[in-house]
Order: sequence, then structure tokens, then C-alpha cells
Amino acid sequence: MKAGHAQPLEYSTHQNDLNIFGFWVFLGAEIMLFATLFTTYFVYEGRTGTGPSGAEMFEITPVLIETIVLLTSSFLIGLGVHAMRLGNKKATMAFFALTLALGLVFLGVEIYEFAHYVHIGAGIQISAFTAILMTTLGTHGMHVTFGLFWGTAILIQLKKRGLTPETANKSFIFSLYWHFLDVVWIFIFSFIYLKGMM
Amino acid sequence: MSELFPRKQIIGFIFSLILTAAALVVYFMDLSFAAGMTVLLVTAFAQALLQLIVFMHAGETEDKWSIYGNVYFMVGIAIVTILGTLLLFAWDM
Repeated sequence: MKAGHAQPLEYSTHQNDLNIFGFWVFLGAEIMLFATLFTTYFVYEGRTGTGPSGAEMFEITPVLIETIVLLTSSFLIGLGVHAMRLGNKKATMAFFALTLALGLVFLGVEIYEFAHYVHIGAGIQISAFTAILMTTLGTHGMHVTFGLFWGTAILIQLKKRGLTPETANKSFIFSLYWHFLDVVWIFIFSFIYLKGMM
Repeated sequence: MSELFPRKQIIGFIFSLILTAAALVVYFMDLSFAAGMTVLLVTAFAQALLQLIVFMHAGETEDKWSIYGNVYFMVGIAIVTILGTLLLFAWDM
């Protein structure tokens, strides 16, 4: 932090600093994971075989709901970290819980979408395009699912132990993860859905 | 250390909604492929930067340059991977 400001709890030990930086390195690897998925997606985008194309499959409504829900959840966890820095445990927990609730809504809409794709004959085995589409969306969805369990564990720890250097550090790192998933979704939203419907 | 009212977060959220609305232009208007892709690239990367700076607090510690270095390096490799592969397998060059 800048001089003259007190250190937030999540940075209060050397170990905490290292944990946060280590997580950034992990996120760097995650960028590459999604980059390879996007690479494959762009190459196979037109290989639809006898199956439908993106323009025929995608619907704007569920995609917009997913986008707004995820953006809002990202904002809420940002408020959670803000509350954490003010030392307000209750507000922190409330914002984290709301974030997870919206994550659940996102996942619900995504599962509906997948069921819909299978229903209209665009399951994962139909074409190179549907295979890479569902692998990319599914990898992101799996990250969100994992985040729900992780976030729940963080909430339990916050409840039991309160705001300590350790729990604050874990909560902050979880918020980084959640914002990162939001960023990945923005790229899915832009370069898979909107580009597909353009 | 921080002010009570989360001004930064609220401004960030409003901007992220504006950027999303701006990206929707490609859906509602009949743009050329090049124009549409330009809109998407600008809005998506602006949105990513916004999350990085406002919400992920990437620049607030002494590790700032290591964090930005790590992220930009990876984004660079990602872009080279995507464009290089497209060059070989999609654009027939």
C-alpha cells in the first residue's frame, strides 16, 4: 500500500504477500488454459458438419442474463473485499454469500442452455464446432462450480474464525479468482456468443 | 485506510455495464465483420483492464510490476498462440 495508509489485513504478513503473488502466477497459467481453448474454438468455429452453427444455436436472452449476473456478482465480491478492509465481518460475509448466490443463478442458466443445446440436436458429439464450444463453456462452468464450493468453505471459515490475517488473505485470493472468471466470461460473451450472432 | 463509501467499485460496475451495452451494438446493428470485431476487441479488453485494475487491485502493492508483468506476458503469449494458429490453420497462409 501507499505510505501513510495502514496495511490491509490480507497483506499483513510476508506469507500473505507471497500467497497473493503466487495466485497471480496461477492466474497467468489459467489465461493460457483458456487461450488454448479459444484457439481451438476459432479454428473449429466453421466446422459444423451436419450440425447447427453458432448463429442458429445462440439466443441473446440467456446469454445476457448470464453476463449481467456474473458482472453483478463480480461487483458484489468487490464490495465484499471493500467491507473486509473496513473490518466489517458481517457485511463481508453477506456480500460473499450474495456473490455465491448469483454464481448459482449463473450456473442454473448455463445448465439450462446446455440442456437446450442437446435438445435441439447440438450435443457435444455432433460436430467439431459443438465439441469445442461445449468444452470451452464447460471449462468455464466447471471453474464457477469449483468456485461455489471454495467460496462456501471461505464463508464457513469467516464465520468460525472471524477476520484474521489468514481468512482475509484467503477471501481476497478467492475474490481474485472470481473476478478472473468474470473476465473469462466477458471473452466468451464477446468472441463466442456476440461474434457468433453478428 | 479506505473510505466508507465504495465509490471506486460503483464507478467500475457502471462502466462494466456500459461496456457490455456497447458490445451489444454488434448484435443489434448491422455492422461489417471488421467493424464488429473492432467493437468487440475494444470493449472486451477494456472490460478486462477494468476488472484487473478496479476490482483485482492489481496495482496497489509493491509487487505491482511483477503482477502486471506476469499478466501481460501471459496475455502476450495467449495472443501469439491464437493469432499464430489462425494464421496457419484458418487464414490459409
